[in-house]
Amino acid sequence: MSSCYFYMAFVPIYIIILGFTIIVDYFAGIYIEAAKDKRRKLFLIVSLIANIGTLCVFKYFNFLNENFSFLLHGFGLKNPIPYLSILLPIGLSFHTFQAMSYTIEVYRGNQKAERHFGIYALYVMFYPQLVAGPIERPQNLLHQFREKHHFDSDRVFDGLKIIIWGLFKKLVVADRLAIFVNGAFNYYEKQSSFSLVLAMIFFSFQIYCDFSGYSDIAIGTAKVMGFDLMPNFKRPIFARSTGEFWKRWHISLSTWFKDYLYFPLGGNKVPVARRNFNLMLVFVISGLWHGANWTFVIWGGINGFYLVFAILIKKQKDKFNKWLHINQYSILNIGLQIVITFLLISFSRIFFRAGSIKQAVQIIKRIFSFNGWAINEGKTMIAYSLFAIGFLVMVEMRREFFPTSFSLSYHKIFLVRNAYFAFLILTIILLGVFDGSQFIYFQF
Amino acid sequence: MFLTGNKYRSFIVRLLIFSVTLYVADFAIGKVLQKLYFKQSSGFDYQTTYAINETTAPFLVFGSSRANNIFDPTIIEKELKLPCYNAGRYGEPIFYHYAVLKAVLKRYNPQIIILSLDAFSLAKDKDDYDLISVLLPYGDSHPELYDIINLKGPYERLKMISKIYPYNSLLLPMISGNLASSKEKNYNIKGYIPVQTTISGPLHTIDYTKNTLLDTTKINIYKAFIKDCIKAKIKLYIVCPPFMINAIGMDNSIITAKMVANTFSIPFFDFSRDTFYTTKPKLFYDYRHLNDKGVALFDKQVMDSIKFRRPDNF
Repeated sequence: MSSCYFYMAFVPIYIIILGFTIIVDYFAGIYIEAAKDKRRKLFLIVSLIANIGTLCVFKYFNFLNENFSFLLHGFGLKNPIPYLSILLPIGLSFHTFQAMSYTIEVYRGNQKAERHFGIYALYVMFYPQLVAGPIERPQNLLHQFREKHHFDSDRVFDGLKIIIWGLFKKLVVADRLAIFVNGAFNYYEKQSSFSLVLAMIFFSFQIYCDFSGYSDIAIGTAKVMGFDLMPNFKRPIFARSTGEFWKRWHISLSTWFKDYLYFPLGGNKVPVARRNFNLMLVFVISGLWHGANWTFVIWGGINGFYLVFAILIKKQKDKFNKWLHINQYSILNIGLQIVITFLLISFSRIFFRAGSIKQAVQIIKRIFSFNGWAINEGKTMIAYSLFAIGFLVMVEMRREFFPTSFSLSYHKIFLVRNAYFAFLILTIILLGVFDGSQFIYFQF
Repeated sequence: MFLTGNKYRSFIVRLLIFSVTLYVADFAIGKVLQKLYFKQSSGFDYQTTYAINETTAPFLVFGSSRANNIFDPTIIEKELKLPCYNAGRYGEPIFYHYAVLKAVLKRYNPQIIILSLDAFSLAKDKDDYDLISVLLPYGDSHPELYDIINLKGPYERLKMISKIYPYNSLLLPMISGNLASSKEKNYNIKGYIPVQTTISGPLHTIDYTKNTLLDTTKINIYKAFIKDCIKAKIKLYIVCPPFMINAIGMDNSIITAKMVANTFSIPFFDFSRDTFYTTKPKLFYDYRHLNDKGVALFDKQVMDSIKFRRPDNF
């Protein structure tokens, strides 16, 4: 009931859409399990059509229609199909993907069909992760709804710690950086090259803290209630290659695409050319998952290209490293790899953030025009932003490179732990941005 | 979840210790921040504190940057022979002006007030409500401001339990306000911030039609401002200084403001499209603000208009 209330707090009527997919998938799961051979596939297809169809209507209809109009316009024809005037239901892509993973896993025989309608509905609607993930797998979550959860104060405090860190990332880092990023991207024609590069880098930190902040809040909330959700981020800012980045970023979606799209397409067991094509395809679809706009498709394409290119030049790169006697494990080499990966990912995100391809291209052109170092925002704004990023990087560095030492959040002295979290909360109050901004990934 | 004996007790104890630590730290840091805030000797926060707590000038100017940059108290004082303070604040909407007026009226009744309006003073803009946060440090000592503070959001009073919250995002400006050099301290003259530079480039044409929806809350606050001035027997003049801009759709707010002023028989001086100014770019430093040359001419003209309306008093 609380999940229903949570979802209906946004646009109440959209509970019907959620209800529709829940009913279809609930029965599809039972029928898939009971049926044999081709009928199993048939029920799976029905479930997938219902889910993807819902996504297509609410998320992609106008996008497809717009492109259809453009195509017809090329032939001098008018598109008779009207546009839909509807709001995108919040978190639609997340809960449809979670629902699809259920029917696919039942089809594959990895998961028993859930007979209890309430428990199945809760699996799709579990409110901490309903609107922005992590996109859970039935094997991890469903059984937890059947178990009894006893009160555990350590667990509650652990959950609260994760929530506080999530709030810090969202309010102190993401929302602070958003002020600079929004100004720079919205008025890009007035920005210097340096200002746009800074905005590009800030946006990378912003989106990371916005999304992983939400994931932390979701994981922490679930933990307080006695449930374990899968981790969704593993410090992606320290990825040493774009391939590694995607193993650390939005893990629940990356593994979803790997398990349900990349592997069924042949995975790594197909010829190189086919594998590269599959990689590109998966990334383009992943881009489209994020939003019905060509900017997201291009963003996905660029990231797919990074991976394919890395695979294609791997031998030459290894030879080159050997020739130059580069020590793979030297701090300098690792640092350089991290910086290059971060910049590559940040560059692709210009398309993610820009409102149109034209705008993204203009921004890139302006960056490479090297037209100066001026920054429009005040010193105070930059100082707050740098403090926020600095603190985040310090904490993440500690967790990445010294996982067992210097931990304040799990310090053995209770007062030290207390003081650390009091410091975080007070910093949120003092430096957080409280203007009611939304989480970026809610729109997906 | 089941709460059982020891676990429950341990949880409550830990939570209590944490809450107390948090409360004490919040209170102590909040007090330090409060000291730091009210000790400032320059900057916008200092100007607000001075306007709310200290000024006794019989002539006050209210408004956003189009008050700060355009109304020079030295000219006003010379013309009207009355001490003047410019209580305007950059970027602030009508909520702020009304809050400062309320705080001032608690202490004394000024004789004359100028309210300087912008093209979008009554237009809908969500960000304007966030700007109310500059009033939070005054909440505790000025309960009369809560009506305005509550417009920021329904939970502002609850958030004010934290003694740090009123100083959110103010740490660096506060440090700089305390460490200001004498040059910075003299940056403004009784709230007036002079600008000497001149606008460059051709006359802008900007389409503002999207920003013309009116905000009924702002209109009500504007009316309340007028009513409070009338009640306190203050001579109120509402002025819309000139724009160096050919803006499409910027008149909605001005027309409504004029209509409301007329209803209360309050003089409204509309210079927004006065060709005497709009044809002279050298009088502006940007499209919304006059420079010091423009100010010298404009302030004199406004004072003449006031003198003309109230010849008996000057």
